[in-house]
Amino acid sequence: MNSSFSGFLFGAALACISLTAGCQRPFYQATAQLAPVTAQPVSKQLSADPKAEATIAPYHQKVEETMSAVLGNAPAAITKNPGESPLANFVSDLQRTRASRELGQPIDLGVMSNGGLRAPLPAGPVTVGSVFELMPFENELVVLDAPGAVVQQMFDYAARVKMALSGAVYTATAEGKATNILIGGKPFDASRTYTIAISDYLAGGGDQMTFFRALPPRKTGVLLRTAISEHIQELTKAGKPVEAKVEGRVKL
Amino acid sequence: MDRREFLKHSTLGAASLGLLGLSLPAAAADAAKLVILHTNDMHSRIEPFPDNAAQWAGMGGMARRAALIEQVRRQEPHVLLLDSGDIWQGTPYFNFFGGELEYKLMSQMRYDASTLGNHDFDNGLEGLQKQLPNAAFPFLSANYDFSETLLAGRFQPYKVFEKAGHRIGVFGVGIKLAGLVADRNYGATKYLDPIATARDMVAKLRGAEKCDMVICLSHLGYKYEDEKIDDFKLAAGAPGIDLILGGHTHTFLEKPDVVKGPNGHQTLINQVGWSGINLGRIDYVFERGTRRPGVAQAAVLPVHTA
Repeated sequence: MNSSFSGFLFGAALACISLTAGCQRPFYQATAQLAPVTAQPVSKQLSADPKAEATIAPYHQKVEETMSAVLGNAPAAITKNPGESPLANFVSDLQRTRASRELGQPIDLGVMSNGGLRAPLPAGPVTVGSVFELMPFENELVVLDAPGAVVQQMFDYAARVKMALSGAVYTATAEGKATNILIGGKPFDASRTYTIAISDYLAGGGDQMTFFRALPPRKTGVLLRTAISEHIQELTKAGKPVEAKVEGRVKL
Repeated sequence: MDRREFLKHSTLGAASLGLLGLSLPAAAADAAKLVILHTNDMHSRIEPFPDNAAQWAGMGGMARRAALIEQVRRQEPHVLLLDSGDIWQGTPYFNFFGGELEYKLMSQMRYDASTLGNHDFDNGLEGLQKQLPNAAFPFLSANYDFSETLLAGRFQPYKVFEKAGHRIGVFGVGIKLAGLVADRNYGATKYLDPIATARDMVAKLRGAEKCDMVICLSHLGYKYEDEKIDDFKLAAGAPGIDLILGGHTHTFLEKPDVVKGPNGHQTLINQVGWSGINLGRIDYVFERGTRRPGVAQAAVLPVHTA
């Protein structure tokens, strides 16, 4: 064993390297021999370093306290499901109201895909931790000014997956086309521009919403997670429960 | 002995060495050994992944990593502990404390240096400025020009460490920020060509700084099919780097890759996933008696398997 080790170690020959541009003198390097395993798993077999643990402890406690802080109360769980879902309605609605407040103008539509929402809001106390689980990403709320053609593409996308949009109702045909589109109660006008409250992730073409990619987003400076948390707090302050329902935004 | 056979034997030798703490063979005892420990993309994973996590359940955790590093330090006199960026973002610890705890723990672990990843800009230049006093280690950044920002003069392009009787030059390169980081978060920071910068670094470290070994902390990413600069393009474009410790792409490698350069020089590229799931370890040996300016013999020893 030792001989192979030594052979490995010193079998490497020195190799003279000539200079590449800019070097001032020659240098040498031994031929390095590769280790087959160079990563050590940091697993449960290791005990924790007491000093590091002590450093972490107060922060951990604060995180636990913060995460368990109750923002509001949900009489029933707000869940997600394929098609129009209570959770996506809840989030896309609050996106629209928050973006409207931030930019000081009405916002026509709110868009949130089911994929962007990572966990349901549980029945009972809704905590900061619940909102982190729902929205772990640092996605920012932005506004797009979408020409009619892009809005049509968005509705066609929505119709294929029966996705609901805040501020609109439409009929998804069996062929996966969007018809009878009403936005703010008025028939869709392909010649005008509509404002859309959306996450920067989806605005950048996430979840295959590639049709949005060319549109420059207007920033609100508000994280989606913050918008969700603060909306729940506002409901609570107003004495309202945290609830959302499927209300026929997508007709089949 | 063919290469495969060779590696198998060498693994065995060093595995027992590392695990059982056997005394070094006489020949190796004459050599100065440098142990490089490294991480990348730890993403604020202070605590291990929860036991109910879909992936990596129970893995990682900075207190355990600290224990592992301490264990190595007890056995090895010459340790260089390095990180390749994206220390921040990924758990509520970052959301709540802005990276303070990450820097404090890394300082306690005695990190020697890190570089800046794109997520280290997530709280803007102000957020970085605010936390720098908590970091007892330097951030090495050669291709970000902060001169027109509030962080002007706060970062150095490289640092030379005297370890194991040798001069080890370490520099850092970062990824293009435009399109990856929100404009307001990097402000007037200028991104310079990583390859041209790395060439200058190699020339300086091998030249005026008389380094025996050159290490690059890279947050460029492991390998891209397109034109985007990655660690392989860096190794090929800036010959003379001994070791590139990479990040950004969260790549798990079973062993470092080798890029062969001109005149037999080899550059190793390594990356250890993300979230502190693994601690990378690469051992270099400098043979005693061969040290003259700019001369080093380096070999990589395998790390024991856990």
